[in-house]
Amino acid sequence: MNLRKRSNEWIQQLVFVGPGMIVFTIIVLIPFLLGFYFSFTEWNGLDLDKAKWIGMDNVRRIFTNDDKFWAAFKFTLKFTVVTVVVTNILALLLGLLLTRPMRGRNTLRTIFFLPNMIGGILLGYIWQFIFTKGFKTIGEMTGWHFFELPWLGTPETGFWGLVIVFVWQTTGYMMVIYIAAIVGVPKDLMEAATIDGATYLQTVRKIIMPLVMPAITVCLFLTTSGAFKMFDLNLSLTKGGPGTSTQSLAYNIYAEALVNNRYGLGTAKAMLFFFAVSIIAVTQVWLTKRKEVEA
Amino acid sequence: MKKLSILLAAAILTLTAAGCGNNSNNSNNSGSEASNKPAESANATTEATTTPKKNVTIKVFQFKVEIADALNRMAEEYEKETGVKVEVETHGGGEDYNALLKAEIASGSEPEIFNSEGNAALEAYYDRATDLSGEAWAKDVIPAAAGPAQVDGKLLGMPMNIEGYGIFYNKDLFEKAGITTLPKTLTELEAAAKQLEAAGITPFSTTNEWWSIGHHTINVALAEQPDPIAFVNGTKDGSVNFKDNDVFKKWINYVDVVFKYSQKDKLTTDYATQVANFASGKTAMIQQGNWIQGDVDKVAKLNVGLLPIPIDDSGNAHIYTGPANFWIVNSKSKNAEEAKAFLNWMVTSDTGKTYLTKEFKFIPALTSIKPTADEIGQMGVAVSEQAATAGGWHWGRYPDGVPQGWGAAMQEYQGGSIDKDQLFDKLGKAIQEIVSK
Amino acid sequence: MTASRSRLWAIAAAAILLALLFIAPFYFVLVNSVKALGEIMVDAASLPDKYLFSNYSKVWDIIKFPKALWNSILITGISVTGIVIISAMTGYRLVRKPSVFNKILFTCFISAMIIPFQSVMLQLVRVTSFLELRANLFGIVICYLGFGLSLSVFLFHGFIKSVPLEIEEAAVVDGCSPYGVFWRIVFPLLRPIIVTVIILNGLWIWNDYLLPVLIIGSNKDLTTIPLAITRFFGQYTKQWDLALAGLTMGIMPIIIMFLMLQKHIIEGISSGSLKG
Repeated sequence: MNLRKRSNEWIQQLVFVGPGMIVFTIIVLIPFLLGFYFSFTEWNGLDLDKAKWIGMDNVRRIFTNDDKFWAAFKFTLKFTVVTVVVTNILALLLGLLLTRPMRGRNTLRTIFFLPNMIGGILLGYIWQFIFTKGFKTIGEMTGWHFFELPWLGTPETGFWGLVIVFVWQTTGYMMVIYIAAIVGVPKDLMEAATIDGATYLQTVRKIIMPLVMPAITVCLFLTTSGAFKMFDLNLSLTKGGPGTSTQSLAYNIYAEALVNNRYGLGTAKAMLFFFAVSIIAVTQVWLTKRKEVEA
Repeated sequence: MKKLSILLAAAILTLTAAGCGNNSNNSNNSGSEASNKPAESANATTEATTTPKKNVTIKVFQFKVEIADALNRMAEEYEKETGVKVEVETHGGGEDYNALLKAEIASGSEPEIFNSEGNAALEAYYDRATDLSGEAWAKDVIPAAAGPAQVDGKLLGMPMNIEGYGIFYNKDLFEKAGITTLPKTLTELEAAAKQLEAAGITPFSTTNEWWSIGHHTINVALAEQPDPIAFVNGTKDGSVNFKDNDVFKKWINYVDVVFKYSQKDKLTTDYATQVANFASGKTAMIQQGNWIQGDVDKVAKLNVGLLPIPIDDSGNAHIYTGPANFWIVNSKSKNAEEAKAFLNWMVTSDTGKTYLTKEFKFIPALTSIKPTADEIGQMGVAVSEQAATAGGWHWGRYPDGVPQGWGAAMQEYQGGSIDKDQLFDKLGKAIQEIVSK
Repeated sequence: MTASRSRLWAIAAAAILLALLFIAPFYFVLVNSVKALGEIMVDAASLPDKYLFSNYSKVWDIIKFPKALWNSILITGISVTGIVIISAMTGYRLVRKPSVFNKILFTCFISAMIIPFQSVMLQLVRVTSFLELRANLFGIVICYLGFGLSLSVFLFHGFIKSVPLEIEEAAVVDGCSPYGVFWRIVFPLLRPIIVTVIILNGLWIWNDYLLPVLIIGSNKDLTTIPLAITRFFGQYTKQWDLALAGLTMGIMPIIIMFLMLQKHIIEGISSGSLKG
């Protein structure tokens, strides 16, 4: 009996987790482990037999002689903090607003969600077009200083350009998650609060926010990892420029491995990056999970 | 259960699709006509093996999106003539061609022919690039075009074409501003710019694209060195620096003139806009190459001329030509010999030649092909007229990554965030960052 | 009362203004997709002098739109279906049987979300060509399963935790097998999060460029819309007229999908909340 139950458990484990594990191993785990190996080699990325084991040299080089990597690191941190804060505040506010009874609510939801439909490198191309051509025309028409800035032409406008596009694209999605969570707040709780004479703001603070915490965890996680890994947008909007002033970490890794032909060094950077993000992500999830109300 | 059956159906679907995916190589309908052997005379060694076989596929991995369609058509003609299938894979748009080529090679599928730049960029592919110096066409290659792919007396690639840049100017606007004699010195160039400005015309159209200011603009100073190769090597080992170099000291004055008399929003002007500004007559001059012809034509039919680039008042100014890229025959591929035959056909057969000039609009890198102005446009002809005295392209002598670094530094200089001494420092530093190990 | 009323109005007005800002880029895309290239370059903001709908018909032919559309639908559809099924099952098991092994596995899934794709790119190409997963539909689907699992398992994991165990226990008492419990009881309850997973993965896969280039780039029979459109972006030239028309054609299907799904999203959410 006990034995049969055990083997039953095994079969269940296999059926439920097996397919996922196999695919994950082939597509993610093995390439990742290979990359781990390459991070200790000097290799141009072409012929495997030419990869030369050099131990910790790559890591040493990153820490002692790689200003650009650390500049990219700082840039990425700054970018992540700004976009995560702006995106989530905006998305949460929109979520709160668009769960209130009002006309045109669905239309507005759709509009805010629309930017999500465009992705990948085309997103950057379109915005490059808008920043360089659209903004200029608007600037000429309105005379507003904001539109007449040299968009994407200076480190500052490059940074904020990336922020704008990132927020534009991500907010709608986060909003949908927040809406799902806010709608999920039990109606009787809300009604009880209203009967007790709570104002809307009080209801938000005391009832909605705590119950929406799981959604906040998810959204923070999604935006953080999205911002930290930003690559496509970086490549197609600013190409890391002007100069290398808007080079994100992912872009720096890409350029090192595939433009500078130093795949070994590039993967070493990627591994450092991976461990850095792991630490940040785990801490963040751990922190917010503690605040979640278990439903 | 319903969900499972969907999955099952999906699995079957994918399996069948997987079944057909790999067959494309064999689907060659055994080209009916017998081998139309490419007409050649010299070179028996390679010749013996070039008899076209059926059921052979040559894979071409290239990045010139502009010629993709014409190249496909040419490949079809080749298949009709010889029975050899040529599969062209074009990767240009937005993503890095080099990264994709590496991925292609990593996958174990070695394309027969691929594109690479010469010099340092070619180094990673030395053990793949087949020596083509024995090919029939090799003797006709313009020496300057062959240079970047010549290693130890071997010719490691066929230059695709030559391209050249200088200062293209709008003849009508020059006339409107009353410029009668063409500027030959830097002082005259600045005077012309002032004259244009006085006539309400923006003199220069500039861009912030790294390759324009990182490759082309800096190359002017490299090519004007008494011995460019020695200078390049000197900067690599650190024995020469930019700050003390006389040519660079003069060159920066030219750069300043161009930036000073450019449109207001040069920091955000991408290549397309730069060309559009010139094409629509907003600006009178543009430091670009003959490759802009097509884009200019889309906006307007311009009457243009080509000025050599003056960096001082010596009157000794040049345009700069080079091969953008090479066709490399991959020795690790299955059908390297067939690939050679295809390249040979491209530059010797009438069909191939017509495609090169008329369809690709290439300025041929071979003296044996004579294009007309109709075929390669006014700009192409202007370049080929001055090609004899032109300077070369030298940025490729630096490893990949260096010109990108220069582009970055030039962007900063263009934006005014660094001065010329800092610029020179950064130019040197960009080299050291890549070269030093 | 009136004060809060007018405040509400102000908020609504702000929201509408923001909404206008959000759709403005679409205006640029649409307006310029019916202009000639020369006109786009000279003036990008104004309405076209002459409406060139031929851009669309040109693109339709050049990129063989019906074929590319079908490929995009096929690849996205199968991949997303696979991701939903596999990650729901995995997530379920990981929640209900938190053995040490499963906890480690879950951590692996989460960590994988932060692997930069560029650092596994060349190895992935090697592994997939070794297993003959390149240049075919099956291969690209497997790749999407692999890269899509992490986030989806994470989402399912979080959601399933909030599904009360009592229902399942009741079903077991009624004689349901563990598989029956999952498919008949749990899976239907996951609807809200399934919708989320579908949207998130669907959008990503629909717009993805780099992975399909690497995996199916050499097989022209499988070209997707994003791959097809990049032919308008040359080394020096961007054919904005055609590119923008192509882009519009590329996002149209997914916008229509979204508008159709929108009802389901809201339905899914409310059915989820009824239970909660």
